Amino acid sequence: MHTRKGKLATAVVAAAAAGLLLAGCSGGGGGNETGGVTTIQFWHRTFTPVENAWYADIVKKFNAAQSEVKVVDTEVPADAWDQKMKAAQAAGKAPDIYTHSGSIQDAVNAGQLHELNGIVSDDALGQIIDSAKPVSAIGDKYYAYPLLLEPQTVLFWNKDMLSAAGVDAENGPKTWDDLFAACAKITPTLKSGQYCISPASDAVTFAWSTVGQQYNFSGHTALTDDWTAPNINDDGYKSLMANYKKLWDEGYMAKQALAAYVEGKDFGEQKVAFKVSGSWMMSEIGSDYKDLLTKTGIGAFPDATGSTDRTATTLGNFKWVVDAKSKNAKAAGAFLEWAIAGDPANLVPFFVDTQFTKVPVRQSVQEAVAASDEAADAPWSSVIVDDIAPTAIPEPTYPWDVSLAVGTAMESVMKGAASTDAAIKTAEDAIKKVIQQQDLPSKAPKN
Amino acid sequence: MQQMAMPTTEATILPPGRQARRRHRRFAYRDGNIAYLLIAPAVVLLGIFVIWPAVYAAFLSFQDWSFYKDPQFVGWRNYTNVLTDPLFWASIGRGFLFVLMTVPVMLVLAFLFASLVVAVSRRFAGLLKVSIYIPTIISTVIASIVFVLIYNYSGGLLNAFLGIFGIDPVAWIGDPAWALLAIAVPAIWLGMGLTSLIMVAGMVDIPGEYYEAAAMEGANWWQKTFFITIPQLKNIVLYLLITGFVAAIQQFELPLIMTQGGPLDSTTLPNLFIFNHFRNDINVGYSIAAALLLFVVLGTVSALVFRFVNSERLVD
Repeated sequence: MHTRKGKLATAVVAAAAAGLLLAGCSGGGGGNETGGVTTIQFWHRTFTPVENAWYADIVKKFNAAQSEVKVVDTEVPADAWDQKMKAAQAAGKAPDIYTHSGSIQDAVNAGQLHELNGIVSDDALGQIIDSAKPVSAIGDKYYAYPLLLEPQTVLFWNKDMLSAAGVDAENGPKTWDDLFAACAKITPTLKSGQYCISPASDAVTFAWSTVGQQYNFSGHTALTDDWTAPNINDDGYKSLMANYKKLWDEGYMAKQALAAYVEGKDFGEQKVAFKVSGSWMMSEIGSDYKDLLTKTGIGAFPDATGSTDRTATTLGNFKWVVDAKSKNAKAAGAFLEWAIAGDPANLVPFFVDTQFTKVPVRQSVQEAVAASDEAADAPWSSVIVDDIAPTAIPEPTYPWDVSLAVGTAMESVMKGAASTDAAIKTAEDAIKKVIQQQDLPSKAPKN
Repeated sequence: MQQMAMPTTEATILPPGRQARRRHRRFAYRDGNIAYLLIAPAVVLLGIFVIWPAVYAAFLSFQDWSFYKDPQFVGWRNYTNVLTDPLFWASIGRGFLFVLMTVPVMLVLAFLFASLVVAVSRRFAGLLKVSIYIPTIISTVIASIVFVLIYNYSGGLLNAFLGIFGIDPVAWIGDPAWALLAIAVPAIWLGMGLTSLIMVAGMVDIPGEYYEAAAMEGANWWQKTFFITIPQLKNIVLYLLITGFVAAIQQFELPLIMTQGGPLDSTTLPNLFIFNHFRNDINVGYSIAAALLLFVVLGTVSALVFRFVNSERLVD
């Protein structure tokens, strides 16, 4: 009996050891310190080829410029980002420093982000322009350093297609009525498979990309200021939904998206005369559809009435953050400061190669980019930086589920799956549930 | 069942002395140590990768946890949040609808295909079996991308084909009315291979004498099918029904890649619903509670299927 138990115990211990070994063999994860060199892990998403090249280059330059910190760079496909990051966080192996988009509120509440005060110099933090502060700081504490800001709703148009239909190709439509009038003229001139416009068309995209339009139409976003109730049952929201329904019903847009909102494939292949996307689409046109670059018009998204004086876009962002559990936060902070908060020359290639479609968050970088030789050949740069970005509103800080409820209502109305009143009622119920479950009034912005 | 029945049979036919010797002999050949040793790795690995995570998941389903702060006990809140969420119930209902759209069609097609395979020459049967199995070894991700291209609104194969007959393009994966069906088609295509081969194996196993006897009595194909083939395939069908049901209701990659659950949630199957929460929620309690509840639903339905379609040993 004794021997048998002994053998059994040996087998169990051996198998457990094998299991632990297997469990320990996971990729990625935090950095470490060996031989005086601190190794840190840096994850960033796959963007356009020129952006990916810039990321690889900046890491190489930093590693060459000093010998105390070694940055290991990992490019993660954008669609795998969320699950890869979640898995790493669950295993306690999140990278030391990584890119982050959207609002920081939830991540800060969850204790996910390391404070930058103390690991990035006050001087560098102080250079962040005011319009980027809502996405980088809460109160006087900084949690993220923005690399860029970019309008998320911009109207692009194919000048040749507009001209062919007798529509003003130099100035895009200023109001929704202008847009409808343009589409009425353009549609008869199109071939089979071509459409007047390619806007957002699914709930998820509506949720994040139309917050600016919601503000444009109604003067507010989806919650009351104190976050105690939904605020979407008004004429503004109803007429925004009705406008999308008209685009759908009149056949001005395809009944199934021809390409994702964030990409310019349908516009590049000249399947649409107008395309709604973020300002970043211009860099895709520049890299993948060079012939179209001079034929592409760009302007602010149409206004509800022409006299609201309100923007129709939010200002998206990409930031760098340091993980709260990083054991090498100082090294991560040093890398961050060197790469995006130090010499403006490090950042100029990024903004030039992305065709001036993004806004730098430091005055010194904005000036350096504007002074580059290539800037003179990119007339659209001023449209984005001077006309659209300054008035754009930040992305909402309320939970994603609130935005998604509105997005779902918009898609329902557009596709005729529900009446406007019924869709708004459903969205209100969903938002009330989020308010109650997540106790939103206690999390509402104080100012 | 067979092993348990043996001692009773032995007791009735063997004299008491021989019974004791036989029992002793059997005991002498039993090597408990080796048996434990052999199953130990599986038990330990199961313990580490299945049992412990399941227990830990059950523990976490009562907590609010964001990976960064210590879990906070919230009682049944995650469960009540899931159970009162109409989107969760809608996704479960959609899962059942998806099962209805895929499993019966797959079983009928596989049955017809298997009937064809057993009826043709050996060589042609081999060709048929290889052809039907090919989709099974194609990655679901690749199949999804191929079908997205087929369903493309402007320039897709299907709409181009319909265009020949003057039919306007259809938003196969953009219209809530079509989207779930559009996903069911690749699901059936991918699942047909294995289902058909199992069905073929089942049919080959049916003794030929039954058919010969039936032929002598003048039975036609329909009669042979209804009175011999189908009853003899009962266990095979039961197996395919259960595995088909579980695979269909857990379908995840097709809607994830083809539609991301849209339009208007019309393709958000239960696993995708849970996955989306896991991706988007800061706290993981909700997704874990939803996953455990789905486990309960799957277990209940499987038990019900077993209850109503009893598995019986075939009578030789």
